[in-house]
This record gives sequence, C-alpha cells and structure tokens, in this order.
Amino acid sequence: WGREQGRGSQGRQMERNSELFTLTYGALVTQLCKDYENDEEVNKQLDKMGYNIGVRLIEDFLARSSIGRCQDFRETADVIAKVAFKMYLGVTPSVTNWSPAGDEFSLILENNPLVDFVELPDNHNTLVYSNLLCGVLRGALEMVQMAVDVKFVQDTLRGDNVTEIRMKFIKRIEENLPAGDE
Amino acid sequence: MADEAPFQFLHSEVIQYVFGASDSGDAETGRNITKVESMGFRVGQGLIERLTKETSRFKDELDVMKFICKDFWTCLFKKQIDNLRTNHQGIYVLQDSKFQLLSHLSAGKQYLDQAPKYLAFTCGLVRGALSNLGVKSIVTAEVSIMPACKFQVMIQKI
Amino acid sequence: WRVGIAVIAKENYPLYIRSVASQSELKFHYTVHTSLDVVEEKISAVGKSLGDQRELYLGLLYPTEDYKVYGYVTNSKVKFVIVVDSSNTSLRDNEIRSMFRKLHNSFTDVMCNPFHNPGDPIQSKAFDGIVSGMMVQTG
Repeated sequence: WGREQGRGSQGRQMERNSELFTLTYGALVTQLCKDYENDEEVNKQLDKMGYNIGVRLIEDFLARSSIGRCQDFRETADVIAKVAFKMYLGVTPSVTNWSPAGDEFSLILENNPLVDFVELPDNHNTLVYSNLLCGVLRGALEMVQMAVDVKFVQDTLRGDNVTEIRMKFIKRIEENLPAGDE
Repeated sequence: MADEAPFQFLHSEVIQYVFGASDSGDAETGRNITKVESMGFRVGQGLIERLTKETSRFKDELDVMKFICKDFWTCLFKKQIDNLRTNHQGIYVLQDSKFQLLSHLSAGKQYLDQAPKYLAFTCGLVRGALSNLGVKSIVTAEVSIMPACKFQVMIQKI
Repeated sequence: WRVGIAVIAKENYPLYIRSVASQSELKFHYTVHTSLDVVEEKISAVGKSLGDQRELYLGLLYPTEDYKVYGYVTNSKVKFVIVVDSSNTSLRDNEIRSMFRKLHNSFTDVMCNPFHNPGDPIQSKAFDGIVSGMMVQTG
C-alpha cells in the first residue's frame, strides 16, 4: 500500500466509525420516509425499531458496563446519561428538570450525533428525526423491569438550542410476567 | 467506547425491517436486497466524500481501489482488506478474512443462506464510494467459510 | 460582478451558482463554463508530468483583464470555481485556498445530509451561509 495521506489518528477513526452509524441512520430515516405515507407513521416505525434494538442492546450494555441493578429512577437516569450515552454515542447528556415526585426527568443533549449534517426539508415538519432513541430507551428499560414513557420535547433540528428527551417512569414490571407485547 | 456496536445493532435492525420475519419468495428477496444495497450506496457516497476531503487526487483506478481496501475499509470496520487481487481487466476481488457483519452468525451451513442479507449493505457501501469517485461498478459478495468474505468489484467501462 | 462562486457537477452541469452582480449574470455563467475546459485540462494532466502534486486546489485557471478565475476539484470530480475582479488585489493565494477549503467542507456536509440527493442542485441553508460570508468578505 503506497498511499500515505488520509490516515486518521485514533481519534479521527473513532469519529469516522460514528459517521458510518450517523449516515446509516440517515439512510434508514429517508428510506422510511419513502416507505410510509406520513411523518407520524415514520415516527412510529422509528420508535418500534428502536425498541427492538433496545431489548437487545441492554444485554450488551450490562455485559460491557458490569453495572448492577439500579436502586431508583434517579440512579437509572445517571447511568443512562453518564454511562450508556457515553458508551454508545460518545456524548454525555445532562440530567435535569426533575418532577417534584421524582418520576420524570429530562436528558439534555448539547450535541446529538444522529443529526450531524441533517437539514430537514420543509415537507417533513412533523418528523421526529431521532425518534429511534426513544424506542431504544423504552425497550432497554423494559428489560430491566421498568416501564417508561419517552419523548422528544426539544430538537435542534427544529431550531431549538438543545435537544431534550423527556422520560417518565410509569411502573415497575413484575418479573414473572412477560415483558411487553411488541 | 463501544463505538462499533451502534452500527451493528442498527444494521441488524435494518435487515430485520426490510426482510421481515417471514420467508418470502425469490423475487421479493431480490427486491429487498436491492433496497438494502441502495441504502448502503447512499451511505458510501457520503462517507467517501468525507474520507477523501484531505487526500490528494487519485492517480488511477488501482489507486482508488487501494484506498477502498485500506482507508475506506478501516473507516468502516477498523481493519484493512486482507487481500486484493485483480485481473488487470477491471475485476477486483477484495477478501476480508473476518468480516465484521458476519462474525455474529454461526458457522453452520444453514446460516450460509442468510449471508447475502448481511452483505448487501456493504456491497452498496463499496459501489456508492466508487461511484462517487467516478468509478462505475457492480459489486457482489460471496461467503465460502464463515466469517471470511470475498467482494467482487466489476468495473463498468463507459 | 465583483465575486462569483460556482459548484459544477462531475457531468459539468451547475449545482450551485451565485454572484454579486455588477455585470450580467449571463456573463458570469459564460466565464464559469469557459473555465471548465481549463479544469479538465489540468485534471487530465495528472500523472503525465513528473513531480505533479495532484492537489485538489488547481490555482489560477486563467486571468483576463477584468477578472481572475480560480479552480478546485474534489476527488468526486465536483468542481468549485471562484471568480474575482482583477482589481481586487487584496486577495492572496492562500485566502483563495482557504475559501475553497471552506466550500469543500460545507459541500461535504451537504453530501452527508440524508435528505440531499447527490447530483441535485445544492439547497442548504448552511452552504448558503458559508457562501454569503465569502461574498461579504471579498465583495
């Protein structure tokens, strides 16, 4: 191999591998936009696919992180932000806006790697581009007996300053019951 | 950081989404392969644009192929292509002796039928990258012994 | 015009054209079009001469009394052309170079936008912004 240029440092290789992920995700979203009639259907499908990933990802996550069972929702929030996001997406969202009852919080992403390069066309104004993440979180937590509701409330793609994912604890799932029906 | 995991999970889910759970007919399978391949094509176009941003212009076709085997493959799978052969008449065979997207499939014969599904996206990545560099091609892949894989690139002369 | 910027597809049709017009838009198009022959010449000269750097930046394509035309080509064979007034002597070669680099970076992002179809005209607020910045800077 004679070519000398274009060899990235370790850091750049890392960034490049995440580019493969980011661009593949983009190709998926645009494919879904072709396959489905409207943005709501695409959002739903992204959530569903995220869920499927989440239920498998959790095993990988527990194995890699060797983190044990979380005591409460607050600990769960910290693990998601500081360990899981960091591990898989290379970013650490901040955990804020706790509800008084402690059953709801927000993940604030200054920088969402899924939307690097993305400019939404005008005809997709109800598309929740990164909705896969909601499904992933929902699916993964369900496997550790936590039913949660997850949704985007702010999005830099829509002109907001940050991206905000709102998570609400619904209930603890009994271990002996089959989890979910999807 | 588990930086290759997100792509692998996403790739599997894309396959799952496009092919569905049920076994469909050959025509359907062909269409689905094309769909996944074309997604890869678009990703390949974008990635190679970024990857060649700082490199000097390519000398010739072989120069381009070497870049695909080395820099492009490293960007995708963190390793280089293990072996590149050419007949010097527009056919290149790229061999990856441990192809990442097959490594999770078991080596059993029954999984060999499943392999084409897991190769289509990468065929598209290569075709898209080459196309963007001005090299039109047809890219196919075959597996003989898991997880080794050969990608054959046939250059389409204009 | 005082300055004009064009992005030309591999197949030689325009992907993006913008100029600060003081003369006719048409003449700008014509100038860009003429410059493409010079670009082709420079590209095809690759490998023929010893010590060829094969740089993406092609330098000054040709000067006339009225303006200077600079060229740049990506590995994907997309060409960038910058035309400036000959009277504009404040622009140095390395400034032109860095303008091309900025254009290329932004173009790369456009290519990575999943909603952009490669080969289609560039419709991007980010790219517009970069170009506008250059117009102000050089105009």
